[in-house]
Amino acid sequence: MAKTYDYLFKLLLIGDSGVGKTCLLFRFSEDAFNTTFISTIGIDFKIRTIELDGKKIKLQIWDTAGQERFRTITTAYYRGAMGIMLVYDITNEKSFDNIKNWIRNIEEHASSDVERMILGNKCDMNDKRQVSKERGEKLAIDYGIKFLETSAKSSANVEEAFFTLARDIMTKLNRKMNDSNSAGAGGPVKITENRSKKTSFFRCSLL
Amino acid sequence: MERGKMAEAESLETAAEHERILREIESTDTACIGPTLRSVYDGEEHGRFMEKLETRIRNHDREIEKMCNFHYQGFVDSITELLKVRGEAQKLKNQVTDTNRKLQHEGKELVIAMEELKQCRLQQRNISATVDKLMLCLPVLEMYSKLRDQMKTKRHYPALKTLEHLEHTYLPQVSHYRFCKVMVDNIPKLREEIKDVSMSDLKDFLESIRKHSDKIGETAMKQAQQQRNLDNIVLQQPRIGSKRKSKKDAYIIFDTEIESTSPKSEQDSGILDVEDEEDDEEVPGAQDLVDFSPVYRCLHIYSVLGARETFENYYRKQRRKQARLVLQPPSNMHETLDGYRKYFNQIVGFFVVEDHILHTTQGLVNRAYIDELWEMALSKTIAALRTHSSYCSDPNLVLDLKNLIVLFADTLQVYGFPVNQLFDMLLEIRDQYSETLLKKWAGIFRNILDSDNYSPIPVTSEEMYKKVVGQFPFQDIELEKQPFPKKFPFSEFVPKVYNQIKEFIYACLKFSEDLHLSSTEVDDMIRKSTNLLLTRTLSNSLQNVIKRKNIGLTELVQIIINTTHLEKSCKYLEEFITNITNVLPETVHTTKLYGTTTFKDARHAAEEEIYTNLNQKIDQFLQLADYDWMTGDLGNKASDYLVDLIAFLRSTFAVFTHLPGKVAQTACMSACKHLATSLMQLLLEAEVRQLTLGALQQFNLDVRECEQFARSGPVPGFQEDTLQLAFIDLRQLLDLFIQWDWSTYLADYGQPNCKYLRVNPVTALTLLEKMKDTSRKNNMFAQFRKNERDKQKLIDTVAKQLRGLISSHHS
Repeated sequence: MAKTYDYLFKLLLIGDSGVGKTCLLFRFSEDAFNTTFISTIGIDFKIRTIELDGKKIKLQIWDTAGQERFRTITTAYYRGAMGIMLVYDITNEKSFDNIKNWIRNIEEHASSDVERMILGNKCDMNDKRQVSKERGEKLAIDYGIKFLETSAKSSANVEEAFFTLARDIMTKLNRKMNDSNSAGAGGPVKITENRSKKTSFFRCSLL
Repeated sequence: MERGKMAEAESLETAAEHERILREIESTDTACIGPTLRSVYDGEEHGRFMEKLETRIRNHDREIEKMCNFHYQGFVDSITELLKVRGEAQKLKNQVTDTNRKLQHEGKELVIAMEELKQCRLQQRNISATVDKLMLCLPVLEMYSKLRDQMKTKRHYPALKTLEHLEHTYLPQVSHYRFCKVMVDNIPKLREEIKDVSMSDLKDFLESIRKHSDKIGETAMKQAQQQRNLDNIVLQQPRIGSKRKSKKDAYIIFDTEIESTSPKSEQDSGILDVEDEEDDEEVPGAQDLVDFSPVYRCLHIYSVLGARETFENYYRKQRRKQARLVLQPPSNMHETLDGYRKYFNQIVGFFVVEDHILHTTQGLVNRAYIDELWEMALSKTIAALRTHSSYCSDPNLVLDLKNLIVLFADTLQVYGFPVNQLFDMLLEIRDQYSETLLKKWAGIFRNILDSDNYSPIPVTSEEMYKKVVGQFPFQDIELEKQPFPKKFPFSEFVPKVYNQIKEFIYACLKFSEDLHLSSTEVDDMIRKSTNLLLTRTLSNSLQNVIKRKNIGLTELVQIIINTTHLEKSCKYLEEFITNITNVLPETVHTTKLYGTTTFKDARHAAEEEIYTNLNQKIDQFLQLADYDWMTGDLGNKASDYLVDLIAFLRSTFAVFTHLPGKVAQTACMSACKHLATSLMQLLLEAEVRQLTLGALQQFNLDVRECEQFARSGPVPGFQEDTLQLAFIDLRQLLDLFIQWDWSTYLADYGQPNCKYLRVNPVTALTLLEKMKDTSRKNNMFAQFRKNERDKQKLIDTVAKQLRGLISSHHS
């Protein structure tokens, strides 16, 4: 089967139930918004192909259920994620406070080099705001993570969020590839070791 | 001798005659002697008469002398006394003269007074004569003055009576006076003036009743409404009343939860309390709003003037014109109920006036005329209603319009106008009402389904539990026993849809009120409408949601559960309709509810959509496949994309535990079959021109991952190896190639028990060709390696044999 993309990036959306994870994904993949809240059951995903630096990148974005009862199932997907978005609701302070817990989950279950990003969603509802932008920024800085306020309803910053995360993953990937090439030049044994890892991006680059 | 006899006879007669004449002369007054004497001269015997006369004179003289002689002494005495008297008389004369002179002197004043008296009497006589004349003339003048006053104060009928009286009774008595002649000349003009002014009054009257038609009609409609309210109170049946009251109580309970779809109609359908009735104002009658006297006066005036027919024709003509005006509906009548109400009020007002005139005049209008007008009015009204009601898109407006039409019909029926055609038209409007309702409910259902969260309804208290159970007939002993918090299996849209179906039924019933339909007819009508609602409107709404792009498994699974419960509730809807229409339970319904079919169809569609949805997810994963078909390396684990795919399927079936068993099994089987078919296509597609054994090995690892999933029992209820059968074709094909078991395959081909029963020779050949191409590409190197040459030879041999099989199979 002829491949229609250059890279595959797997992203994960996590956060409390009702903060707007599914709506963000829906806005990004379908450019639409559904006002009715339908609680996600288990796990779902959507795929959208974007272009970065002339490369076709398939984003497979996993949408997780925020409810506690689905935690076991959703946690299993952390390992495969290359980028994770932690989402809270600016009108719900509790969801912001829980970001720390979600970060702890990531450190426990995700790969150590996973790219992360914090999103404060529903920024169109400023009249009901409970979490200031400054607090969001400070939290992100504390963890060395990028931060954006978004609105799935008004589509503010949604594209920017996903493209930013994808670009960061691409940057990291390019850095790894440069390191690999340099090591490869040093000796054939290392090249063999790299091939045996069978990471998808590495194999693609050889083609 | 005869001659002498005759002469003698004549002489006797003459003598007698002369004797008679002489007696008459002696006895008759001097004044009358003429005719007597003339009679003498008329004859021819006046000579003889003269002789007789002379004779009689001498006789009389002789007698006088005798008498004088006899009385001579007395005569002398008398003369003596006379001479004495003469002296005395002279004295008396002197005395009288003196007296007379004195009287004359004294009476001179009296004479003057008498003269004055005479003058006065003359004057008095003249005055009396003048007064007598004036007494004749005065009534005429008074009457004329009265006439003028009556004309001025516009009391024209009395004026006309006065005029008639004047002309025929008073004026003839004094017709010789000049002023009377002037009056006589003026009378025709005055009569014309009365006529014209009366006509003007009539026109004002016509204008007045035209302006007040609306008010008159409104009044009549209110009276009919009041009468109906009274009838309702009297005829109210306890059963229906209590049921309606119960419904209202239900609304009170759920006031904050359920939004009434027909608040206005609900209020309209309420039964008025007696207390409310007493508080109503006294509604004035039509005659209180309009002064009919002008038409009566005008009618009398024209009758007296002998122009009654002219008047009747004019009146009818004008009223026909007004009728056409009244029957012209305003162009935007359909926009509001008030538009219709005003239209009806005008029509009712018009006919109430005509009816009033029919009963209070003699022949100005007759039944035939009114019936003709009504027939025209009815056809025009119905045409207008058909046109304008077709623009209505608001079922509440249609319902209110129907109530208004019923009231309109009832009002006019009281006045004796036939209204059957209106009720026939109402049945047409009912169909339109149904269509309007269906459109409205389509919107309602769409809103309900769009706003649903497709999650089981959570309840945290007994109160909430009872509320939900009160809205939807759901009974589950086990759920009832569970502790709080707990969940109903269905989502919010189930009780909402159920209640909206009942609201729809109420709305249909509301239209049937007052249409004089039997309960069986109402029942059938409601069932037909409800069937349309269920089989068309609700069905379309559900299908639209199910077919919606981006609908998720969450929604689809919940829809399956929801429609199962709605299907079970259909029997309660049947009972609901039976109760609400009061049809006896034993009655055989000509119309049945088909709701169960709708929900079955929706469920099947949702199930199909689940299968489609899952397969689309599988396709998305497959698009991520990135096999290196030329790899020589032997891998030790399945491809990333496939591991993710299997994990996704596993977690999906794990979390949707509330999916009905058979649906879950079918979905799982459908997914596995789709996956197997897709993988096979992936392997055989033309774009893959070459592949190595290593690639097949990797592919085999993926298929094993699938088989592992199938064996793991992701969904309960499958027979031990049923699910694995989905991958059997792939398994046998891969085993054949990896184990290079061609001798067995070729030897056993066609046998019922052969090991590779499911491997199609065409498929095998296609795949083999891809491997041969690989070898052929390395032909130059192969020459130097015996193993490679041998392998190529073997491939060619097998290919040849496969072609043989294919050929023989075709022949």
